[in-house]
Amino acid sequence: MFLALREVRRAKARFGLLTAAIALLVFLILTQQAIQNGLLTAFVGAIERQSAPVLVYSTDGERTLQGSVIAPPLERRIRAVPGVAAAGRIGQSTFTVRVDDREDSDAAMIGYDRADLGAPDELSAGRLPRAPGEAVGSAADFSLGDRVRLQAERAQGDAGRALRVVGLARDAQLQVTPTLFVAWPDYVAAVEAANPDVKKVLPSALGVRPAPGVSAAALVRRVNDASEDADALTRADAARKSPGVAQVRRSFQVIFLLYGLVAPLVTGLFFLIITFQKSAALTLLRAIGARSAVLVRSLLVQVLLVMAGGLALGVALYAPLSQMTLGSITLRFDPGAVLFWSVLLLVLGLLSAVVAARRVLQIDPIEATTGGGAR
Amino acid sequence: MSIALRELRRRPGRFVVATAIMTLIAILLMFLGGLLDGLTKGNTGAFRAQRADFMVFSATSQDSLVRSRIDPAVRARAERAPGVTAVGGLGSLQIGSRVPGHGPRDLVPVVLFGYELAPRGLPARPPARGEAYADDVLRSEGVRAGTVIRLGPQRTPIRVIGFVNDTEYSGQPTLWGSLGNWRAAQDANRPGSRVGPGVTQALVVRGGTPEAIDRATGATHTLTVDGAIRKLPGVSQQESVFNQIIGVTVVIAVVVVALFFALITVERVALYGVLKAIGASSGTLFAGVLLQAVLVTLAAGAVGAAAALALDAVIPPGGIPFTTSAGRLLASVAFLLVAAVIGCAFSLRRVLRVDPAAAIGGAQ
Repeated sequence: MFLALREVRRAKARFGLLTAAIALLVFLILTQQAIQNGLLTAFVGAIERQSAPVLVYSTDGERTLQGSVIAPPLERRIRAVPGVAAAGRIGQSTFTVRVDDREDSDAAMIGYDRADLGAPDELSAGRLPRAPGEAVGSAADFSLGDRVRLQAERAQGDAGRALRVVGLARDAQLQVTPTLFVAWPDYVAAVEAANPDVKKVLPSALGVRPAPGVSAAALVRRVNDASEDADALTRADAARKSPGVAQVRRSFQVIFLLYGLVAPLVTGLFFLIITFQKSAALTLLRAIGARSAVLVRSLLVQVLLVMAGGLALGVALYAPLSQMTLGSITLRFDPGAVLFWSVLLLVLGLLSAVVAARRVLQIDPIEATTGGGAR
Repeated sequence: MSIALRELRRRPGRFVVATAIMTLIAILLMFLGGLLDGLTKGNTGAFRAQRADFMVFSATSQDSLVRSRIDPAVRARAERAPGVTAVGGLGSLQIGSRVPGHGPRDLVPVVLFGYELAPRGLPARPPARGEAYADDVLRSEGVRAGTVIRLGPQRTPIRVIGFVNDTEYSGQPTLWGSLGNWRAAQDANRPGSRVGPGVTQALVVRGGTPEAIDRATGATHTLTVDGAIRKLPGVSQQESVFNQIIGVTVVIAVVVVALFFALITVERVALYGVLKAIGASSGTLFAGVLLQAVLVTLAAGAVGAAAALALDAVIPPGGIPFTTSAGRLLASVAFLLVAAVIGCAFSLRRVLRVDPAAAIGGAQ
């Protein structure tokens, strides 16, 4: 212990450099974990936040609200499936909007005809719409009282109706776009204003609630059995199986794997070289009676110190960054990720010192008298 | 220099771990770069293929193709703008398609484009009604010339009459047909997005200037094709985030090289003292360290490039949007070489500080 600490004090630069390398790796891993989580939430947060336990898309919609259209015959068929207690229309389109006097921006609009089957399940502020022209906005992008105008209406010479944000929902974006939840009539009016050629506004999906005694999973099976054109998913599956989500996860997993390998390799290399460099001194220590266990313990203490220092520094760098917003992606400090990566990297770091520890254990004290330890 | 090379030859084991770490970092850099290139390629192909100077969107669309609507009157005004030599309409429909041989729920997402001014690789005259050229990527889904693909809930049939390369859009393969084709498929399958006669989503323009076109129409926003690509959702954000991650990874490479060669230099201080005592200059000694770092990096770069190419070969289409290019691989190796040189520079001070006299007497 004493030896380990003294060596670290004497060789501050080299231990500092290793700690900095570990800190950078930890910072990168945690930051990318935050980006991944933020990106996925911004992609499908609105799906996770909406209140319907089961969502039914058209099979052709490829599990996206933007691509799905529920034609009237399909809607009738879904509503008639045994076990459907209630069904509500959900529509989605993206518009160019102007919030108060700010610059034009995009906004995804989700319209619902039953608040319990499509509106956000929980609000972080305000209330759900009660009157025409009211909306709930994604908390990252809107504030209570914001007035949101559709630019398509303005372009047609109409001053345009303004939606007023009366509620806010956390983590409720869709497709990394500011998102508004409105009642069905407001949604229909917005679609018609944006596209005068539209004849009838159809729902993008149906939000469905199972009857008592029927589970969401069982209802999903029944709806899918009822029609090849219906693609029913539980709320969690609708978010998880949304196109692109699996791809994003896979891409980040490869990146995490590579960074996860680099961290212990750097640590292992460092302590192996250090052990080689100190072999003469270690041999001498063994010759004057120091036990191998003491030397190995000293090595492991140094590994722990470096890893702990790197982790602490990395987390300290990550903490302020995790409070930021990257474009429309809200980053968040994730204690679970910090704990997971800290434990994993600590264990990998200790394992990486095995080669150096073996080298210490192989030291033969007799070499102190023959000069072999200096080799 | 020859000592440095001899050490590499005689004691390669000493450099194996450093080479392994640098190889991992090289793979990381190339993977990140390949991922960025793959994402960008898959998102922007349809726009990059346009043989035009400008793309014109409606003023309130935020330059989004699906939200833009250009009616015939606006188009006529764009055609009359000074300097404009050719104008073509463009429309797109992202939709699920049924491909023969796939199960009833196993749809292939495609983007059907309607065009008038032929993009790269397509004939000047758009295909007849019900026919389209398909992006090469669709071959992996079993699509061949003559295959009939059925689009959307109305199963609108489209017969594939040939293939075109590198025209993906929004990460999906594309079909290229006439504007009539696009309008019919859109009206049948997306009643909420139907468009009237002569309406297109955007215009593709040759000649003129953006200012002249927008002045003439009074209702559009014109961008160069490159500008329109930059405005595609996520393209610039992706690039910025990935480049930052690549930058920090290069910094890690600097630290690894610095660490490794600093340790090796410490180990060699006595040897350097002797070499200096017999006339070797600090420059020569540092050049040896630098040479070793460069060779280690080149070896790591070569293995990393081979791994990246192998990865590109084994990733199934649609798995991960990863693509390798000579430019990206060379750039990654160049970044690593710069990192190696900078990392080595940390050892320079220690080499300069070696005192030959102290080194000779150091054993006492």
